Amino acid sequence: MKKFITRVRSALSGLLVPAISIVLTLIVASAILLLLGKNPVEVFLGFLRGSGMVLKPRYAGGQGILTDFFSYFSILTPMIFASLGVMLGLRAGLFNIGVAGQMLFPGFLASVLVGYSNLPSYLAWPLIILIGLVAGGAMGSLIGFLKHRFNIHEVVTSIMLNYIVSYVTAFFINTYFVDPVTRNSRTIKETSRLLISGKADGVRFDFPVGLIVALLAVFVIRFILDRTTVGFRINAVGLNKYCARYAGINVGGNIVLAMAMSGALAGLAGVTYYLGFANNMVPKDLVSLGYDSIAVAVLGNIAPVGTLFASILVTIFQKGSIYMSSNVGVPKDIASVIIGILLMFSASGLYIEDKLQHLGRTVRPKRDSKTDKDKAEEEQL
Amino acid sequence: MTETIVELKNITKRFPGIVANDDVTLDIRKGEIFALLGENGAGKSTLMSILFGMYEPDEGQIFVRGEKVRLTSSKDAAALSIGMVHQHFKLVSNYTITENIVLGDEPLKRLGPLSWVDLKGASEKIRSLSLEYGLEVNPDDKIEDLPVSTQQRVEILKMLYRDAEILIFDEPTSVLTPQEIEYLLEIMEELRRGGKTIILISHKLEEIKQVADRCAILLHGKLVGVYDVATTTTQRMANLMVGKELDFSIDKTEHDFGEVVLDVSDLTVYNEQKVKVVDNVSLKVRQGEILAIAGVSGNGQVDIADAIAGLQNISAGSISFKGEDISRLTIKERITKGISYIPEDRQKEGLIMDLTLRDNLAIKTFDREPFSKKGILQPESFEQQAEDLIRRYDIRSGQGGQTLTRSMSGGNQQKAIIAREVELDSDLLIFVQPTRGLDVGAIANIHQQILEQRDLGKAILLVSLELDEVMALADTISVAFRGQILKTDSVHNLSKEEVGQYMMGVTQ
Repeated sequence: MKKFITRVRSALSGLLVPAISIVLTLIVASAILLLLGKNPVEVFLGFLRGSGMVLKPRYAGGQGILTDFFSYFSILTPMIFASLGVMLGLRAGLFNIGVAGQMLFPGFLASVLVGYSNLPSYLAWPLIILIGLVAGGAMGSLIGFLKHRFNIHEVVTSIMLNYIVSYVTAFFINTYFVDPVTRNSRTIKETSRLLISGKADGVRFDFPVGLIVALLAVFVIRFILDRTTVGFRINAVGLNKYCARYAGINVGGNIVLAMAMSGALAGLAGVTYYLGFANNMVPKDLVSLGYDSIAVAVLGNIAPVGTLFASILVTIFQKGSIYMSSNVGVPKDIASVIIGILLMFSASGLYIEDKLQHLGRTVRPKRDSKTDKDKAEEEQL
Repeated sequence: MTETIVELKNITKRFPGIVANDDVTLDIRKGEIFALLGENGAGKSTLMSILFGMYEPDEGQIFVRGEKVRLTSSKDAAALSIGMVHQHFKLVSNYTITENIVLGDEPLKRLGPLSWVDLKGASEKIRSLSLEYGLEVNPDDKIEDLPVSTQQRVEILKMLYRDAEILIFDEPTSVLTPQEIEYLLEIMEELRRGGKTIILISHKLEEIKQVADRCAILLHGKLVGVYDVATTTTQRMANLMVGKELDFSIDKTEHDFGEVVLDVSDLTVYNEQKVKVVDNVSLKVRQGEILAIAGVSGNGQVDIADAIAGLQNISAGSISFKGEDISRLTIKERITKGISYIPEDRQKEGLIMDLTLRDNLAIKTFDREPFSKKGILQPESFEQQAEDLIRRYDIRSGQGGQTLTRSMSGGNQQKAIIAREVELDSDLLIFVQPTRGLDVGAIANIHQQILEQRDLGKAILLVSLELDEVMALADTISVAFRGQILKTDSVHNLSKEEVGQYMMGVTQ
C-alpha cells in the first residue's frame, strides 16, 4: 500500500511540470487573443465545442455532441499512431521526420487494394490494418537499413522518400483512381472504412475502430520499451550506441528494427487517416498531421503514455479550430500558434523544474536533466 | 617577504543535501604554486569555482590583493585577472587557435565607422606569448585537428592573452600522457618564474610533490590544513587526504601460471583512417597471469584490446581464446565465451550515463536468466543484483540501484564497471587504464580487485600508461611502440628504467 502511494505521488509530481506548461500556454494564448480583441474564454470554449466536449448552442439535423466527439476520435486515432511512431524512433536516437510519407504509402495501398473492393468489413478491416503495418514497416526498415548499411542519415532518406511516395501515388491517383469532380482520389467504399456507425437519440455518430488498436498500441509499446529485452536494446542504442555496441548489442540491427516499428506505427496512422477519417487522397498532398506528430511526441516527453495525452490535447486545438474560427472569428491558424507556445513551454520543462526546486519542492528527475543538485551529488560521491 | 594575493575567509557553500565547502580559510601568496589536494568530491572544484565567480559562497569573504571582492560571474574574475583552465576545455572545435583565444575579447581595428577583428595582430601576440612561456602552438591551426595536450596549451594561452595573474588549473593532468604531464609541469614552473600565481587542483600526489610550494588538503569540504610540500611526504599527504592510514603496499604472491587462455598471434589492425595501428603483434596470457602492455598513449595498446573484444576488425593474424579461434565471432559471442572488458573511456563506452546504475550493471546480462525470462525483463533481479554489487564492491550511489549513473562520481562509475565485468566470471579480463583519473583510495581498491582476480586463476590483460602501475601489478610486461611489441619479459627481468626506454622505442 505504501509502495502504491509513493507510486501515485511520483506520478503526480511527474504531471506537475506538464500541467504548469499547459497553464502558462493558456495564459500566453489568452494574452494574444485579448490583443486581437477576442474573448479567450469564448475561443477555448470554441475549441472544446468543435471537438465535441462542450455542447454547441445548436446542431444541424441528426447531429449532436456525440457526432463531434466521435469525429474528434477519428482524427485522434491517426495522431496517436503517428506520434507513437515518432516517439519510438526518438527512443532509438532516430529522427523519423517522414511519418507523412509512411502514412501515405500504406494508405494508398490499402485504399487501392481493399478500399475499392467489395470485401465485407470483417475481412476488409484486418486486411487494412495488416497492410498499414507491413507497408509502413517496410518503408521504415528501408530507412533503417540505409542508415545501418550506408550510413545515410534517416532525415535525408525519409524526406526523400516522402517526395517519392507523394509523386508516385499522385501519378497513380491521377491516372487510375481520380474522381473527375473533386480531382482527388475516388472515395472508398463504406464497408472499408474503419468506422462503426451508430445512432443514439436520433444523433448519428461514427466510432473509429482504430482507436481501440491505438490505445492498445500505447500500452503494448510501453510494455515493450519498459519491460522487454527488445526495448532495453532500443533504449540502450538510443542513449549511447558506443556503449551498446561494447555490451554486445547489435546496433545496426536494432536501428533497423526501431525504424521498422516506427514505420509500422506510421502505417497504422496512414490507414486510420485515409480509411476512416478522410476516405480519399489529395494527389501530392502529405498530411500535416505527419509533421505535427513530431511536436506531439516531444510534448509527450518521448514516452508512450505522455504521447497519448499530448495527442489528446493537441487534437482538441486542431479538430476544434474550424468550428471555433467560424463562430468566434479568430483565424484557425491560431491553433498552430497555441501548439507552438505549448511546445515552447514544454521544451522549457527543465527550467520550470529548476525553478520549482528552488521553491523547495521535490520534483521527479527527468531524462537528461542535470541540475545543480545533481552536480552537488556528483561532487559528493 | 611574499605578499598575499588571494584570501578566502570562512567560505561555506551548501548544495541541497551536502555542504561542499565548510568554513574554509586560505591565503595564497603571490608567485607560488599552491596546490589544492583532496579526494573526488572533497570540494576542491567548488572552492575554485567560487574564486572564479561561478558560484557565490553562502558565507565568507574573498579578498583579492587585499581588497574585499564579490564575484558574481567569470567576467568579474577576469577583471581581477583570475583565469581558469577547466577540466573539460571550453573551446570551439572548428575555430582556429587565434579565434578561440580572442573570442569574447576581440581586438578591433577601425577605419572610420568600419571595424573588423584584427586576427593577424592577435596571432602575432599569441605567437610571442607562446615563445615566452615555451607553449608551442601554431595559432592558425584548428582546434579539432589538435591533440588534447595542445588544446590545453590553448587554454593556458587564453588566460595569458587576457593578462591573467592568478591561474587556476582544474585537474590539468588527468587527460595527459606521462610525457605531456612532465611538459605541463615545466610550463607551470616557467609561469611561476614569470611571476604568475598558480593554483593547482589535483589528487595526484607526485605532481604536487614535484611542482607545488604549498598544499591545502580538503576532506569532505573541510580544510584539513595547509602544508609545506617540501617537508611533507607523499604518504602523509595521502593519509591526510583520505582521513585514514592507507596501505599502499601491494601484496602479490608468486604462483605458477596455468594454461594459455589468450593467444594472439601476428595480429595486424588498421583503424578507420586506414592507418596501421597494430603491427604483427603476438602475445600469450595464461591463467593466473597479469600481462601488462606498457607504452606511451597511442601506440596501439587500446587497439589490441579492442580487437580482442571484437570492437575492432582485424586484417591479419589470429586471436585464440582457450584454444578456439574467436577472431570472427561477434562481440556478444566473445562476451558469452568469457571475455570481460573494462574499456578506456568509461563514460562513453563503459556506461550509459542516462540509465540507472541498476540497468548499467546488467547491460551485458539483461538477456539472460534471471534478468529476463522469454524476453520479459525481471526488474526484481536487476534490483537484487544492484543491491548485492553496491554492497560488495562499495559503489556509492545516492539512491541505490535507481541512481542515475551520470550523477555518480568517476571513481564509483569505474567501480560499477569493474563490478559488472568481474561478476561475468570470465576467464579473461581486459583492463584498459583502469585507474585513470581516480584518487588514491579508489586506485588501491581497484588494484586489489585485479590481484584478487589473478589469484583466482583468471588471465588478465592490463593496458596502462602509468608505469608504476604496470611495474606493481604485472607478472609479464609487453612494451608497445608504434603498434609493435618491442619487448616481452617477466617483470623480474626488467627494471622500470628499461621499460621506460623501450617505451621510447629504444632497443639495444
